[in-house]
Amino acid sequence: MEPILELKNFQAHFYTRRGIVKAVDGLSFKVHRGETLGIVGESGSGKSVTHLSYLRLLPSPPLRIIGGEVLFKGKDLLKMSDNGLRDLRGKSIAMIFQEPMTSLNPYMRIGKQLIEPNLIHSKISKKDAWKKAIAALERVGIPNAEAAMVRYPHEFSGGMRQRVMIAMALTTDPEVLIADEPTTALDVTVQAQILDLLRDIQKDTGMAVVLITHDLGVVAGLADRVVVMYAGHVFEEGTAEDIFYKSAHPYTLALLKSTPRIDIPQGSLPVIPGVPPDLSRLGTGCPFYERCSYRMDVCLEKFPQARHFAPGHESFCYLEQRPQ
Amino acid sequence: MNTTTINPPIARIQNLKVHFPVRGGFLSFKPKQTVKAVDGVSLDLAKGEILGLVGESGCGKSTLGRGIMRLIKITDGSIEVNGVNFLALEGKALRQARPNMQMVFQDPYASLNPRMTVYDILEEPLYTHTKLNSEARTAKIKATLELVGLRYKAAKKYPHEFSGGQRQRVAIARALILDPKVIIADEPVSSLDVSVQAQILNLLKEIQTRLGLSMIFISHNLAVVKYISDRIAVMYLGKIVEVADREELYRNPLHPYTRALVSAVPIPDPKLERARKRIVVQGDLPSPLNPPKGCAFHTRCPLAFDRCNVEQPKLMAHSGGLHRVACFAVEENRTT
Repeated sequence: MEPILELKNFQAHFYTRRGIVKAVDGLSFKVHRGETLGIVGESGSGKSVTHLSYLRLLPSPPLRIIGGEVLFKGKDLLKMSDNGLRDLRGKSIAMIFQEPMTSLNPYMRIGKQLIEPNLIHSKISKKDAWKKAIAALERVGIPNAEAAMVRYPHEFSGGMRQRVMIAMALTTDPEVLIADEPTTALDVTVQAQILDLLRDIQKDTGMAVVLITHDLGVVAGLADRVVVMYAGHVFEEGTAEDIFYKSAHPYTLALLKSTPRIDIPQGSLPVIPGVPPDLSRLGTGCPFYERCSYRMDVCLEKFPQARHFAPGHESFCYLEQRPQ
Repeated sequence: MNTTTINPPIARIQNLKVHFPVRGGFLSFKPKQTVKAVDGVSLDLAKGEILGLVGESGCGKSTLGRGIMRLIKITDGSIEVNGVNFLALEGKALRQARPNMQMVFQDPYASLNPRMTVYDILEEPLYTHTKLNSEARTAKIKATLELVGLRYKAAKKYPHEFSGGQRQRVAIARALILDPKVIIADEPVSSLDVSVQAQILNLLKEIQTRLGLSMIFISHNLAVVKYISDRIAVMYLGKIVEVADREELYRNPLHPYTRALVSAVPIPDPKLERARKRIVVQGDLPSPLNPPKGCAFHTRCPLAFDRCNVEQPKLMAHSGGLHRVACFAVEENRTT
């Protein structure tokens, strides 16, 4: 199947006074129609920056895209003109963010914000855009959608605001939805509601969802396939089952083991020693070397090639066997 | 570790209330309202126990922590520490009692003075509260840094030179330096990444065991609380709705709110997570300015019946007395 979005060896670096920060350093993965791809990583792993940078949502400088390709339906977004990209961004590729209060305009009634994407991207009348916006609000479960259109963001609770954000992304019927930590700022009971909503919408519309999160539990519930990122690299990629039950990368396994969970007794949590590396001082080898309990001399020389464990399951590690 | 029956309480909190007055706007004639952030909380903290305090944002868990520390004004109630009424203390007596209780905050970036070295940060409480001479202070700082897994070398550095996890170690060292009996840790790992979080959790556990401290561990994360606590109290809109031993609370949650909370925590296991039945709570937290009459949870509760709209449930003992829950549906056996 032809992927709808494909990154090939994508590199984006920040040029700062302190040196070059290699935030994204050679990233490749595919997103297919109708699937939810989970991208897991800790802060600084590059999981958000990747998408913000090819969508040109970050100031450049300091950001510089060094190389690679980002193909949306076969067309390279990196080679597109600003105007060309603007036609796609917010229409075919929509994004929702962690903090809905800072991503909605506090001075504008939400109705006005909700019709904006369609007024810009589609040739429909204001009236039709208004109707579409109401339909979208109803779809995400906002009670009294018509009345909600003339209210301001601060009049909504956190969970409701995130629903408004999702509605805004849906108004243009996007083909790819990038959800960047969509539930991190929410309480667990509200998080459960929003995750259910995302799952339903994905099923209904068949759009591709890229779910960026640090929470392994959220990924386990929603993602069909998972990409594990660390220090600007993909460490492991596979189906949710591959990643959670047959982890092939020592980092994935260590992360899973060190996560507190409510369903099983945990005597003492195994820890990952040390801290994530400084991205401006990376060597040529594997950035996890210092913290890895399986490290070998070869790891310092060169970042490993993909090793295949099952169809679609690869690990970027020199280990030949799965770690235990 | 079931410490509740063996050890006498080191701290006893009774009917604690923290109310904040809210004024209307400028020139407003609206009647003055109050936010009842903590509204009648009673808790015992046993010696050598870690008591987890969970709840969602706005439930009053942090306010309770700060209230116990007397960092904010208490409206009503009593706090006894080691048999002494902590709320009655003033002036010198209060200052002498303060070292018994210390706090660790969520954000080590905000709670450490960026212009002080770690040495200065750790020395300041020793200056204020002890008569140790310079040599003894240095020795104490060295020992405390070692206790939290930092080298003495770290003492010369400033907070910004550390990563988030290391900085939290400094904050823990500061809390420990006066040999407190009780530590109140307010979301101490919430700003940390998973890989670092486990290090700090293990450190807190280890220190608690080694020094025999008592700890109140405040968090919104039920998995983290489960890992570290001996006993857990669940808060909702300023009240404690359920208290039980850790295993009991997760195996047999009784309050409908606790049940919903536990069922909403994602489990990092795709097959389990997808097969789970969620107890969905409708809507959002009601405004604490205008909390619902009767049981505060009845507006979202799947089990609510007429009694819940008028009466306020009290914490009642259940299964042997160690498991307590404030719910009429449980009391009247209407849970199924």
